[in-house]
Amino acid sequence: MATIINADTSDGLKLTSDTSGQIDFQSAGSTKALIDTSGNLKFNSGFGSVGTAYGCRAWINFNGTGTPAIRASGNVSSLTDNGTGGYTINFATNMPDINYAASSAGTDTAFGGAAFARVVSIVSSTRAVGSVQVTMQYVGASAAGYFDYDENHVSIFR
Amino acid sequence: MRIIYETSDGGVAVIVPTPEYLLTHTMEEVAAKDVPAGANYEIVEDSVVPSDRTFRGAWTWA
Repeated sequence: MATIINADTSDGLKLTSDTSGQIDFQSAGSTKALIDTSGNLKFNSGFGSVGTAYGCRAWINFNGTGTPAIRASGNVSSLTDNGTGGYTINFATNMPDINYAASSAGTDTAFGGAAFARVVSIVSSTRAVGSVQVTMQYVGASAAGYFDYDENHVSIFR
Repeated sequence: MRIIYETSDGGVAVIVPTPEYLLTHTMEEVAAKDVPAGANYEIVEDSVVPSDRTFRGAWTWA
């Protein structure tokens, strides 16, 4: 059961109320999104069914060359430059635990071409609720090492 | 503004606050939250931090 807000195709807005604490958003009587009693937001939006929305809890886009510069970010208090190719993303609001998923990407403007591949790593040993460390490296047939790239993108999901 | 601090291995780390966080917090608050406990730190102008990263790994706290 739920309190329902329904955009009915015949009667327009239809409201149904109960005391369950859940609210459903319907179109023509079919639930398209809801917020359950645990606060989970669930929606369809082309998913095929109403599923939980797992939000990006923090993200940052920064230039790691010269003096590191932050282009844009969300839920990040600061970026720590630990050395060549090494950075720490400090969260404005902590994660509930360290079991989040971190992903990172960026362009290969400096070591583009077939000879080198870019490697982005999450430093799992230092992962914390308030921060995560990442390293940026290049790997080629005859050389490899840490490198400060122009484009660095990191996002955290939980 | 930047925050520089001495790392446990004698090197130097540089903290760059995000513009969004500085809308509601001070540099001192960023330092209190993001500098590791017990580390020596200093809040400095941007120009104090070298932009030449050729020997970035060799920077030391003086």
